[in-house]
Amino acid sequence: MIRKLSALISVLLLLVLLTGCWSRRELNELGIAVGIGVDKADKGYRVTVQIVSPGEIVSGKSSGNRTPVTVYEATAETIFEAIRKITTKSSREVYLAHLRVLIIGEQLAREGMEKALDHFSRDHEVRTDYFVIVAKDTTASNVLKVLTPIEKIPANNLYLSLNSSEKLWAPTATITLDELISDFVSEGKSPVLSAVSVIGGKAGHSQKNIENISPTGYLKYSGLAVLQGGKLVGYLNEKESKGYSYITDRVQNTVGLASCPNGGKLALEVISSKTKVKGKVVNDQPQIQIEVKTEENVGEVECELDLTKRETIAELEQLANQKVASIIKTTVKKVQNDYKSDIFGFGEAIHRADPAAWRQLKENWHEVFPKVDVIVNVHTEIRRIGTVANSFQNERKE
Amino acid sequence: MDNNMPQAEPIKVKLQPNIDKIRKDLGNSDDIVIREIAFGVARAAIIYTDGLADKKMITDFILETPDQTTERDNLLEALKELAQKLGDYKEITNFQEIYSSILSGGTVLLLDGCSRGVSASTQGWKDRSISEPISQVVVRGPQEGFTETLRTNTSMIRRKIKNPNLWVETRQIGKVTKTDVAIMYINGIVNGKVVKEVRKRLDKINIDGILESGYIEELIQDETYSPFPTVNNSERPDSVAAALLEGRVAILVDGTPFVLIVPTLFISFFQTAEDYYQRADISTLLRMIRFISLFIAMVGPALYIGITTFHQELLPTQLLISLAAQREGVPFPAFIEALLMEITFEILREAGIRMPRPIGQAVSIVGTLVIGQAAVEAGIVSASMVIVVAITAISSFVITGYSMAISVRMLRFVIMGLAAAFGVFGIVVALIALVMHLCSLRSFGVPYMSPFAPFIPDDHKDTIFRLPHWAMTSRPRLISQRNIIREQMSRPAKPQK
Repeated sequence: MIRKLSALISVLLLLVLLTGCWSRRELNELGIAVGIGVDKADKGYRVTVQIVSPGEIVSGKSSGNRTPVTVYEATAETIFEAIRKITTKSSREVYLAHLRVLIIGEQLAREGMEKALDHFSRDHEVRTDYFVIVAKDTTASNVLKVLTPIEKIPANNLYLSLNSSEKLWAPTATITLDELISDFVSEGKSPVLSAVSVIGGKAGHSQKNIENISPTGYLKYSGLAVLQGGKLVGYLNEKESKGYSYITDRVQNTVGLASCPNGGKLALEVISSKTKVKGKVVNDQPQIQIEVKTEENVGEVECELDLTKRETIAELEQLANQKVASIIKTTVKKVQNDYKSDIFGFGEAIHRADPAAWRQLKENWHEVFPKVDVIVNVHTEIRRIGTVANSFQNERKE
Repeated sequence: MDNNMPQAEPIKVKLQPNIDKIRKDLGNSDDIVIREIAFGVARAAIIYTDGLADKKMITDFILETPDQTTERDNLLEALKELAQKLGDYKEITNFQEIYSSILSGGTVLLLDGCSRGVSASTQGWKDRSISEPISQVVVRGPQEGFTETLRTNTSMIRRKIKNPNLWVETRQIGKVTKTDVAIMYINGIVNGKVVKEVRKRLDKINIDGILESGYIEELIQDETYSPFPTVNNSERPDSVAAALLEGRVAILVDGTPFVLIVPTLFISFFQTAEDYYQRADISTLLRMIRFISLFIAMVGPALYIGITTFHQELLPTQLLISLAAQREGVPFPAFIEALLMEITFEILREAGIRMPRPIGQAVSIVGTLVIGQAAVEAGIVSASMVIVVAITAISSFVITGYSMAISVRMLRFVIMGLAAAFGVFGIVVALIALVMHLCSLRSFGVPYMSPFAPFIPDDHKDTIFRLPHWAMTSRPRLISQRNIIREQMSRPAKPQK
């Protein structure tokens, strides 16, 4: 009995001691990568990794004379090789699980990025909650080298800024890798990505930059990048990006400008917005109906308006309807004419509405899409006018 | 054995040989007092142990010796009559009885020319007065705790339950110490089989001495090779009374304030007396805190080790970075770091408990400085590890049953080792093994994990939740199998509308 028991115990001990600690990594052996950038190189890819230097991040411990993050670069034929090659420069293994942003350089985006994404979707270590962003008019490497104020980790700054601007301003889109891939494989929808541009050239690369109260070099989101067949075909400006957000029902909260009926400006806050895109095939012609329902508050009035009257509110609602409808129409027109890429998912809408017709349409959807008839209906309700009724500017005149 | 203890030799007729024999058998011990007095026409001897017997009672007795006129034949009767005035008496015929009487505080009276004696109970030794129970303190509730005297302890329970069905069975265990052990239960509520089993297990004990109820606990528990206690103990008469009312059996041992309670369930170690004295909702909340504490005390450091060395992806990014920053420059792996701190803490705790109270404070000051400040500043351990160890230590104090808290302390190290080798997977394996083991345990025939496994919905009124008293209508099903109705459902009185 005792012999058997001791044999069992020694077997269990061997199990713990011999296999033990397999794949164990202490926290201070990890190079926590928060941002990764992929650029086109002569042969293969140039991968840039932004790695956190933990000691510099935590308050009270930082020496102050070293940057909070370090950027390593490596060039190789495949992305996986390049990431591993970084260990020749870095003391620590690149740990990708906490990746916040994946940045695609403009050149690579224009030439097609699909192949570069395989590693990120395959590797078990990488989570899928990071955002994919296109570096507009620059390389991913340049984006990752910009130091940001307030948020010590630039990648985190990109992540949080994208999150909050999508929530409060609308013309950006938080696209994660799996959303991007599902758009890639969808026949009736093309992907878009948020685009980030570097302002101030190389000024942002040094720590001196963030010692200024108003840094000369910084990162800025500038609209959306339109993709077609895995390749970047162009950008939407801020207004068009907002139109995209309306159509794809991404607007949570934004502010819209409207002009008063008798001159002057007016700002309306959209507090909720719901969009329904319905497809229809009439006489073999695909038709799209966009229904937008928004609720708005009056946020700023710079003209003479009697907001205490019901008719004024109704008038404002009409104005808001026209405004949103015009944003949407301009966006659709621009995409249909210039990019011919179905980023709104009109194809999917038609597929849902009329699968039989879609089977014929999808063959040359690329050519049909620019000719699709789009009808926009906006219904706005103004809920609140703020803490004052009429603007104090009006009272003085009386 | 028989060399040590005098045989059951009958008392001789003549007084002097009896006295000589007693002197010889007890090794002329100084504290055995033999006083020879004139008792009427005959001589008599009063024998008692100094310090155990009440001297005042004996003196009163001596003053009342009968006059010379009493017939010699009636002297024994007179002796009995006198003894009766002292309290209960017993007629004795052999030396065995003499010894057991005087050694437990009685007084033996021997008469010259008579082969029988009388033993009177004159117990009156110095004992500790009833004081606050130090191991189970409550804010609200009775502040009295058991003492070292068995009789005082039984009386304290009797005062709580004035019912003829509260039965006490006493026996002597320990071949040398002859320790009194009492079994208490409420007839009609208790499960007869459990009482029978308790008797059987107690009778099987064959040991030279019982100095504390821990001896009994170890000798009668169901499973020796288990980290979990299957016998509960209490210092509080109210807790024991509550256990009796639920149909449990209490085992009281002379010489210790700790009373054993069987059968004991896992859940018993998370219930305190105070749970029933304060409002039900608060008690429920406190119970939940105790379960959370159990979890932290058992797997706290293990989770920290497992997650930071194997599953860094589980942490929020900000937390990961701040933990990583703290680990910069720490020379040991997380496991060694945790082990170092845990062992330091256990040393401090042990030192604090065993030290005389004034020195204990000094120990704790040094300990706080060593653990809290210096170790972190010297860069030997990370600040977060100190937090983890500290919260674990405090959590382990929350578990009300001390015997359970000790087992959790022990298991913590095992789980830490597994976490260091296999990460969270190791912790899960350890917990599964623990649950399997817990479910296999029994305490006097009752499944240890009931009412969780087997699941008894009715008994959940007093587990994680503590329902109001008016809703606690039945006794735990598996403990009191015969008489489980405690009260009729009775809503509390409300003001009339």
